[in-house]
Formats: sequence, C-alpha cells, structure tokens
Amino acid sequence: MKATYRLFLCLVLTLVVALPAQAKPLSYVGGTMVMQENDETGHTLSVDYTFDPHFALGLYAKYEINQREFYMAGPELNTLIKRWNLPDGQGNIFSMTGAGIARQGSNSQPAAWAALLADYETRRWFFSYEPRLVYAGDIESSFWQRAYAGFAPYLANYDDLNTWLLLRMDHHPAKNDHFVVTPVLRFFYKTIWLEVGYSSNQHVMVNWTVQF
Amino acid sequence: MRHIILTVVIFAGLSGSALAETIKTTVNGMVCAFCATGIEKTFRRQPEVDTVHVDLPKKLVTIKTKPGKTLSDAKVKEVITYSGYTIGKIVREK
Repeated sequence: MKATYRLFLCLVLTLVVALPAQAKPLSYVGGTMVMQENDETGHTLSVDYTFDPHFALGLYAKYEINQREFYMAGPELNTLIKRWNLPDGQGNIFSMTGAGIARQGSNSQPAAWAALLADYETRRWFFSYEPRLVYAGDIESSFWQRAYAGFAPYLANYDDLNTWLLLRMDHHPAKNDHFVVTPVLRFFYKTIWLEVGYSSNQHVMVNWTVQF
Repeated sequence: MRHIILTVVIFAGLSGSALAETIKTTVNGMVCAFCATGIEKTFRRQPEVDTVHVDLPKKLVTIKTKPGKTLSDAKVKEVITYSGYTIGKIVREK
C-alpha cells in the first residue's frame, strides 16, 4: 500500500515538474500558482487559485519524512489578512488554513493545519516568518516555525533573471527540538521561481513555483 | 471643393480616433518581479490593450492600447488592485 502511495506521489511530482517554491500564497485575481517543495521535512505540493484580491483556494498535499512518515492532503484557504504597499517595499500577513486526511500505513485520521506568514521585502531585502500548526490525531501533532532573511546581490529589473541569497531557519520543537539552517539561492524569471539550498543537517532543498 | 473638404474632415476624424493611447501609472508595493507578472498578465487580458511594460526601478507600468481604444482610470485602478498593488498617479499620452 505504501509503495502504491509512493508511486502515486512520484507520478504527481513528475507531472508537475514539467510546469515548475514558496512564493506568496496568493497571486493575482484569476491566477493559478503551482508550488512544490522538497526538503529535509518531506515533499509538498500545492495548487492555488486566487479568486479575490484577499483569497485563494487550493489543494495542499505533503509527504512528511521528518522523523515519521505520513501523507496528508486536503483543500486549503489562503487569506491575505493585511498588505502594506509602500513606495519602496511591500509587507504582508497571510494565513493558510486547511483540513483533510492524514494517512500513516493503514491508519487514517482527519487532519487540520493552520499557518501564518508575515513578510517584508524591498528590491534589495527580504524577510519572512512562518509559524505552522499541524494536527492529525495520533499520526501527527506538531508546531514548527520558519524564517527567511536575505538580499539581492544586484537589483534586477522586471525582465531580468532575479537572484537572491538567503538563509532559511527551521525550528521543529516537536522533532527532537531540532534547528536547521539552510543557505538558499533563489532565482526567478517572469513566472518561474526556483530555490535551491543545502541544509545544516545535510539535505538538499529544491523548491519551485510557477504562476499561470 | 465641398467634397474635398468633407473627405479631409472625415479622414482627419478617423485618424484621430484611431490613435493608440499610452497610459503610464506608478504602482506602490511593486518591488518583486515575480509578483508583478500578475499586472502584466491581467492587463494583457483586456481586449483594449496592445502592449504592457513593467519598470521595477521606476515602479512604473506603461500600457499601450490598440488603435482607437482606451482604458478608463477606473479599469486601470481595478487591474492594479486585483493584482495586489496600490495605484499611484495616472498619466495619459496620445
């Protein structure tokens, strides 16, 4: 059964690799965004459709490999709680909430998750912080938090390849209280976004996002 | 003579109404090229729009309409708002 799930996951990932990481959970009204993350915690796939300047509806799926293996999937609502459009910067507070099913072996449990994402960026600097809660009965009950801080080594224009150097910090109190730091290279060009990194606990990170 | 004058007036009128319009607007919050693609995509969906140019350093979006077409200030504001930004000043050139 586990092999079937893995095969299904591989198929899904293979299909979406043709399309191409954690950008903002909302895009523009009428826009669809496919986000896929692969890191030391597992593999995540989400597809979101923005139907209002403040809301996006999507599907979220994760294959968790951080200490215990399980799958979790379900619909998700992303909300722009507050945005500050400044002359030289933008700040945002988003929430991401979802509910679905978690499965570990033959054990299936209802699952729910909730996260906040606060970010601030200029053309030179980027900072974000994301706390996340996951509850899936006896399969998983955890809190983790993630922060990014970084800068653009050169100021790219709209049609250029944009490059960022960042540090990603992950703290998983429920996972042996481990703290992971990942130096990240972020690139984006037009509607394609790619992040690559190598974590302090020696895992390769590859995240990508494509906007349609 | 009257026919010639009438023809000249009609042609002058037609060529005037067939001019494309260039609309320039500053956009607050537009600092990320990836996010700003929403502005370009949404403007391109408007049937009146011919070309869209985004300039991040100047925080400027330039829209060129098709000949004889225009976009109202309200529509320009709606597109910018739906793309997640706040509109600044709108300047029009024929």
